Amino acid sequence: MFSAIWSTLVGLLIEDGQLAIGALFALAITWGVAYSGGDQGREVSGWVLLAIVLVLVVANLYRAGVTARARVSSARR
Amino acid sequence: MDPIALAIHATPAFIASAVEFVEATTIVLAVGVTRGWRAPLIGTVAATATLAVIIATLGVAIVTIVPEQLLKGVVGALLLLFGLRWLRKAVLRFAGIVAIHDEELIYQRELAELRAQGIQRTEFDWIGFLVAYKAVLLEGTEVAFIVIAFGAAGGIALTAATAGAIAAGIFVIALGIALKKPLTMVPENWLKFGVGAMLCSFGVFWFAEALGMEWPGDALSIPLIVAAFLAASGLAIRMLRALLPQGARVEARNV
Repeated sequence: MFSAIWSTLVGLLIEDGQLAIGALFALAITWGVAYSGGDQGREVSGWVLLAIVLVLVVANLYRAGVTARARVSSARR
Repeated sequence: MDPIALAIHATPAFIASAVEFVEATTIVLAVGVTRGWRAPLIGTVAATATLAVIIATLGVAIVTIVPEQLLKGVVGALLLLFGLRWLRKAVLRFAGIVAIHDEELIYQRELAELRAQGIQRTEFDWIGFLVAYKAVLLEGTEVAFIVIAFGAAGGIALTAATAGAIAAGIFVIALGIALKKPLTMVPENWLKFGVGAMLCSFGVFWFAEALGMEWPGDALSIPLIVAAFLAASGLAIRMLRALLPQGARVEARNV
């Protein structure tokens, strides 16, 4: 069980680290919006989080695609 | 009990748990077919008993002692982190960048490893016992996490998530017993793709609720959030396919 927990943590923080860090930033920004924006901030916090995370997913995968293309190109050379 | 709310909370737990049950069943089947059924079945029962003790002590304590808002916030953040990981891997698989998860291949690999280890018929098969015990305990722990995560709202959500997980277990185990071979017809990558989107959606939903937001239509917002994640993932798959030459594959850890 401990090895599974360890491999999950390594996978989350190292293999997918950039996505995890980005998600933590998104959560922090959402928390900031909810607590600094009063009632209005709380009511839009979910939509703010959703929008940031969607952009994060697409941007992270785009970067993954660019990295993969570079690796494939260098391997074929 | 409102059937719509029940379905919304039970379906993600059913699908997510089914993925874990398929993985555990594949390994127990491989052990049973190769080395006989006694040891893996005892291993499965022992792992189930261990899980029951873990859930009874830790799970119930977490749900009953920790304040609901705090629990929703922490569970929401964890669901989002783990869901994004599932979704990312599923998108990379569908885009053809990393290999599709192959249950038949895993089954054959497990068979070959177990056959190579051999067995003495006179002794209790401790290898078969331990392999089945470990597989059921690990996948079962994930099912327990899924139930706690999807049931974090308490009340109906916890009941529905538990019912969904139990139904998934019965469904997958019954299929495994009937077929006595790996459940290759279960579209596991599609399920993981859907589950990743659902985990992310529940994460966003609960984290915002923990901050005090009231979603329009309450739980009825969840399908809309899921649709947004699926649309963004679909866009990402098309973008990746356009970026990479056909047939190009890179190990997941290198992207």
